[in-house]
Order: sequence, then structure tokens, then C-alpha cells
Amino acid sequence: MRQLFVLLLLIPGVLSAQAGRIAFEQFTLPNGLRVIYSEDHSTPVVSVDVWYEAGSRNERPGRSGFAHLFEHMMFEGTPNAPKGVLDRVIEGGGGSNNGDTRYDFTEYIETAPISALDPVLWIEADRMKTLDFSPKNLENQRKVVEEEVRVNVLNQPYGLFFAIDLPGKAFDTYPNAHNFYGDFKDLDAAKIEDVQKFYEQYYSPNNAVLAVVGDVSPDAIFARVEKYFGTIPAQPTPPRPNVGESPQKAERRSSQTDKLAKVPALAIGYRMPPRHSSEALAAAVTGELLHNGQASRLYQALVKEKQVALSVDGGVNWPLGAPFEYNGPTLMTSFIVYPPNITQDHVLAAYDATIKELIDKTASQQDLDRIVAKMRSDWYDQLEVPISRASALSHAVLFDGAFDAVYQIPEDLAKVSPAQIRAFAAKYLVNTNRTLINRVPAPGEKGAEKKPGAGL
Amino acid sequence: MNSLKVFALFLSLASVTAAQKEVPLPKDLPPYAAEQPLRAPAVQSSKLDNGLTVWLVSQRGLPKVAFAVAVRGGFAADPADRPGITELLSKTIDQGTKSRTAKQISQELQAAGGDLSAESSKDFMQVSTAVLSSKVDAGLTILSDILQNASFPDAEVALAKRNLADSLRERESQPSFLAARVMGKVLFGEHPYHVTAPTQESIAASTAADLRNTYALRARPDQAVLVAVGDFDNDTMLGLAKTQFGGWRPPGGAALPPTPRPTVPPQHAVFVVVRPGSVQTTLQLGTLGPMRSDPDFEAAEVANAIYGGTFSSRLVSNIREDKGYTYSPGASLRTYRQAGVLITRADVRNEVTAPSLNEITYELNRLATTTPSDEELTKAKRFLVGTEAISLQARSAVAAELAKIWVDGLPPDEIGIYSQRIAATPTAEVDAAARKYFPAWRSAIVAVGEEKVVRDALAPFGLPIQTMP
Repeated sequence: MRQLFVLLLLIPGVLSAQAGRIAFEQFTLPNGLRVIYSEDHSTPVVSVDVWYEAGSRNERPGRSGFAHLFEHMMFEGTPNAPKGVLDRVIEGGGGSNNGDTRYDFTEYIETAPISALDPVLWIEADRMKTLDFSPKNLENQRKVVEEEVRVNVLNQPYGLFFAIDLPGKAFDTYPNAHNFYGDFKDLDAAKIEDVQKFYEQYYSPNNAVLAVVGDVSPDAIFARVEKYFGTIPAQPTPPRPNVGESPQKAERRSSQTDKLAKVPALAIGYRMPPRHSSEALAAAVTGELLHNGQASRLYQALVKEKQVALSVDGGVNWPLGAPFEYNGPTLMTSFIVYPPNITQDHVLAAYDATIKELIDKTASQQDLDRIVAKMRSDWYDQLEVPISRASALSHAVLFDGAFDAVYQIPEDLAKVSPAQIRAFAAKYLVNTNRTLINRVPAPGEKGAEKKPGAGL
Repeated sequence: MNSLKVFALFLSLASVTAAQKEVPLPKDLPPYAAEQPLRAPAVQSSKLDNGLTVWLVSQRGLPKVAFAVAVRGGFAADPADRPGITELLSKTIDQGTKSRTAKQISQELQAAGGDLSAESSKDFMQVSTAVLSSKVDAGLTILSDILQNASFPDAEVALAKRNLADSLRERESQPSFLAARVMGKVLFGEHPYHVTAPTQESIAASTAADLRNTYALRARPDQAVLVAVGDFDNDTMLGLAKTQFGGWRPPGGAALPPTPRPTVPPQHAVFVVVRPGSVQTTLQLGTLGPMRSDPDFEAAEVANAIYGGTFSSRLVSNIREDKGYTYSPGASLRTYRQAGVLITRADVRNEVTAPSLNEITYELNRLATTTPSDEELTKAKRFLVGTEAISLQARSAVAAELAKIWVDGLPPDEIGIYSQRIAATPTAEVDAAARKYFPAWRSAIVAVGEEKVVRDALAPFGLPIQTMP
């Protein structure tokens, strides 16, 4: 389908000098590709982020891990640009590239000196048109992905149980609960026909967003995007997975043993409100109030005051994204590593007391101001580097329906009141809404035999 | 020839294509445009009366400022019976001052939009934070208080010791930590650079008094640099730095003596770290490389980018994209004040331990014995120049890089000169660096995994094999 005439739906950019605001433009090609552009002349560099609305929630039973395996195939060449060309062109242009698979999307990113703008856009458009559906390359990437799972999961202490196993226990429907990295039997079962079908279903301009941040004028970007992407035909709107969950009615507890770990750990996950509910912002702030840095309540209570933990990490949507970057069901996760001479019950008692305080005693405005300042500061870090800004802008389209939500987020967070935090905590941070996994070193491991108090 | 090469570097991709032997590039792939000069951060350098070096980079834009303070003295300066005490120092430096508790420090910084990160390494300790530019005063006040008045309270030190002992156990379950620890011993022997972390013994033996004494010896303005990068005016920031740090007095006595340069290359042998239950072998090859101040540092960087430093490098193409042995193989040059190291790493499934080492050895020797193609050289240089500029887009990254440049004894404009030197490196120098540093016989091999798997797999190489404690 050739496009002879391109209708640009231009939204004027915000050029205000207000702190944290950066110029941007948005338009949509007739084939449905949404394009966001942020002009930035601080360095002669361009960053490109293309996401497709297809992530691990789109995987079918028997094909766990497929969205990520597919992501690898996007780097394996096309009939026009065979395997190897993409990396040669981008790295030879002075840049680098990567890809990320998440629950709701898969994104492809490049950053390069501005002199590589045309080749980079050409490469992205080329792999939006078609792929080299090569069984040999699929076999190669299947092995690479299995090594990725080994190096990040199977050969590591804890094996990402807080990110893979915890949602598996906390949720009941396949899209939310299955292992997004993939079971080896499912990865082994994937065929080139699956790659072809997934590509046809999801990898179309109308199911994608292109964000560009860089040292070039908006006109120059419009012309190039139209030239490289304008003729790619739109496809039928892909099916969306059914991500609905029936309400959780009781606390879910389980335990695991770990052959590699020497120190025990506990993961706790509470189901969170939907992203576009009135409670979502209070959830984001509460998650950070509990987990962000040494000033956080859980660090102060568990590591410092009661001394029952070595470290506490977590937050809403942690560790796969920012606390306001999610679509379907997500958790507020706490990942606690604790000393071998402490029991799970000790850790939980201290944890529950911290949660109870949040419900029984309204947080002070000062507490909130502090964490909101930190969240604003963290969010500016996200917008500072062009590639992460491109990411944030494009994610906002998916999660909030509009890219300029990225500038609204700090303002919205600042409006959350102590009463909202308390109400959120009382409703969501309750035992019947949570899932726990306690993971302890397998018997026989040195860590498990450690005497209480050793190492003092 | 030389001028041709420099010219080729700035030509379009199409003209590079003619010289390379890989698959031809797509006919309709647009060429690169003319290169735009990549501006390095402009550093204003000054020195306060007390000897504190202050490097400032004003970058307007988002309202944030990144700070880093580096203080000379790291693992290499740790007493022989307290290896790694610097790490305990970095865990406790923000746990109290004469006028603030640990909690107050963390809350005041959080209110300014920051948190404190304290890192220990071989040559120095670095304290850094990034705050909202409207809260610069608060950020600098805390930094200054920590650096001048850290009190290492007894109770905080006792807690930090317990937690560090347990977190050391936790790290000992990670193959990358085990590999790095043994690689330190293999590369540096008895040289103080062998220390990569504390030991259970050194943690147990260290007291709050030890920390206070060590800190008093090292934390002195004439052995430190303050770097600020971000949304400020240089004169204003220098004034704030003087107000906050001008009263910092150096202690009596001499500063730490410099670390000697290690000269003995490691043994070309296999060092096995036994880790039962491993489903992969964590392979690392390591040898001494150039320091940043050595004249062949940039040539070695280009050589390394061709060998294993990029995704399209020979090593990654071979053992990942062709053979599927591993997910994230790679090679890098790391530099310290008195040493450089060249490290290759690959985590490979147990069954392919031997063929992986064979291919790594082959790629090291190939680089050391044959001249790379023009396309490889051009690509490597463009990659290094481009990604240097890209890596310096974050203010905190600029602050950390400048702090390290200062610790390495180099001037602030090193941050821009690097790229110019890379672009101008002649092929003959790349060849010479490849021949000098990359032959496989120069490298020690560390393998973390199942002992029987590793020993059986690596026996055919005929190298001495020893199991490390």
C-alpha cells in the first residue's frame, strides 16, 4: 500500500522554560504509526525508541518466553539487510542498540551520533516491513536465550524468584502468571512459523510507537519518518490478551530452597490498583515511601532499627519498570535479604509493624514532601539522557494515552495527600491481598549451617 | 596512507563497503551524513587554599546537579591485616557525623531529591549524590559534613560489620564475584591491587577506631577532588564550594605514598573456583594491559573493540551469533592509577566450556597476529568516539568520569582528548598494541563452575590447572 500523500496530525510543542519541560512534537502517519519527537541540541546525538504493543502477556500457553525469543529474532536480519548488518551499521555509525521485552510491550532502542540518523531510521523501518524468517537463526538465538536464562536465573542465587515466581503465585491467569523468561521446553518448542505469525500479528506500524530525541529539526524528522516508514502498510488491529484477575481472597504463602544461595531471602507482593484508578498515584508514592533508599521506612525499620534484614528493595511494578509504567495487573514487591540467624517470622513481624504504622498513623506532609522530591528528582534522571527520555515519552503513550504525561507525573505525585496514602494502605496493603515466598539455602549449603551470630 | 585513513573515517558508509569482505550492505541503505564534532564537557578547574581540587561543569537543562567527591586511598592502601577495610569505610561513612545521625543524613538528602552512594575501589573512595538544583545548598551541606565530620558511631559500625559479613556470604554465591576475586589474586599476586573485597577475617578484626584512624589519614582536602556537573553558574558553585569546604583542614603528616606499578604478568594457567550446582562455567581470561596514561592506551582500546568490546566484534560474532555458546560475552580494558588490565568474560553452558575457551584463544591470537580490515578499524574508532560522547550524556556519569580522571593523575581535558586520540590512532599502532597485549599466552584463565566439568573440559589445553581456595 503506497502512500502518496501524508497527513500529519501535528500537536504544537511545549516550548515553555518551565523547569523540566522539553520541546516535543507528536504526529501520526496514515498507516497508524504514532511518532513523538523531542528536539535536543545539547549533544550531536540521536536516540530512537520503537515499541510494539506485544509483550510476555501476549504469549500463549506452551510458548512461555516467546515474546523475548522473538525480540532476539528482530536483530537477526531481514531479506534486505541480512544478519550482522544491523550491528555493523549502528556500531559503525558510532552508536549502540538494544532491545527489551516487558509484560505489555517490546522495545528496540538505538543511540548514535546524529550522522547516523538516516541509516538508523532505515534499519528500524526495514525490520518493520519484514524479517528473515530463518530456522538456522532461530536455532542460534534459542541457544543464546537459553544461555541468558542460565546466566540470569539458573546459575544465580535467588534466580529472580521475586520477579518470576512471585507474580506466578500472586496471579491466576496465564498472561500474568506464567514465566516471562520461558520454560526451556516451551523455548525448545518454538518454531519459525510461530515467529512468522507473531510478527504478522503484532509488528505493524499501527501497533507501534516511534520516539526520536535528538539534535535535528522537527521538519527534518517529519520528512525522514514519512520517507522510511510511510509506505509500510497497516495491519488488522491485533487481539489483546485477557488480563483480568478475579479478586484475591486469602494470603498465599510458599517456600523454596536454593542450591546456590547462602543467605535466605523473602519476597512479598501485594496486588495493586489499576494504573488509571484514583488510587494508582497513592500506590506509587507509598511504594517509594516504603522502599526508596536509606531514608525509606522499610530500610529504617528492618535494616537499622530491628536489624532483621541485610537489604530491602522494591516498589510498585518493581523491578520491571517505574511505579507508573504498567498496564495490566502488577504488584508492589518487597525483596528482603535477611541474615541466616533470623527467621522468616522475625522479618515478617518487623515488616507487618511497618505496614501497620502506615495504616494506623497518617504519614506527615513532611514525609510526603521528602519522598515526592526524591521521585521528582529520579524522574528528571529518566528524562535527562535522550534514550531514556525517548523511552519515557513512548511508554507514556502506552500507559497514559499521551506522551506529555511524562511532564505531568511529578505534578500529579505532589498532589497525593497523607489521607490518600492511608486509605490506599488500609485497602491494599492487607494480608488477604498478598503473596509471600520465602527462599532459603538448600540443606548442606555452607550458608545454612552458619551458626547464629557468626561473623561478628 | 595516513591521511587517506583519517579521510575514510569521515566518509560515508558506502565507500567503506568496498573494502570489506563481509556480506555487502543493502543497496538502498542511506549513507552516514557528515560527522558533527562531538563536544566534550567544558571543565572549569580550580584549587581551594586548603588544596581541594574543584572541577565544575555547567550544563543547563533539567534542574539537577550531580556531585562526586573522590578521596585518594582505596583497597591498595588498606593495611595488610585489614584487606578491603575501604569497603567497610564506604558502608559507614554516611552513618553519622558530629551533628547528624545516619537517619537525618538520609532524610535531609532525600528531601533534596538525592541519596548518597559511597563506593570503594583500588585507588580511591568516592562519595556521590545528585540533587534538585533548587536544593544544591542542602546537598553540599551534607556532603561537606560527611567528608569533614564522619564519626563512625560504634553501634553503626557494629551493625555494618554484621551486615557486611553476611552480604559477603551472599556475594560469594555469585559466580562473577568469585571469578573477580580470584582474578585479582592471579593478576596481582602479592601486589596490593590483588584486593577486590574484604574478607570475613578483616571485617571481624576491624573496629570503629580503625575506621576513624584510616579515615583521618585519607580524608584530606589536598588528596581529594570535588566535581559538580549540572544546572548552575560556575562562579556561584565555586562560592558555595568555598563556603562548605574551605574550612576543611588537612591533618599533619604526609599523604599516602603512591602504589608501585605491578610488572609481573600472570601465569598462563587455569585457575578453577569450585562452585557446586553450577549450570554454566564462568570463564574469564585476564592479563595486564596499558594504563590510561600510557601512550598505547587508545591503540589498545581500538584493538579491544575489534576483538570483543562491541556487539559486532569478532568474539561476540563467533561465540554468540555463530555458535550460541553464551549470552553476553565481551572484553574490556580497565585502568587503575598504576595498572591496566584486559579482561575477557563469557558465561557458557557446561557442555561447551572447552570449545568456548578454544574460540576465545583463537580470537586473541588472531588479533595479535593479523592486521584487522579497514572496515573493522573504522567501525571500532567510530564506535569508541560515538559511545564516549553518548556515555557522557548523564551528569552523574560525567562527574564520576572526571573524578576517576583526577585520581589517575590526569588533567580535566583528558575527557575530550581521548576521542581525538582514538580517531587519530594509526593502524600500525593498533597492530603493535594487539601484538603486545592480546596473545593468548599472556592471559591467565579463571573458570568458576563444577570442578569435574571444568577440569575435564580444559585438560586438553595442556596448561597447568589448579583449584583455588
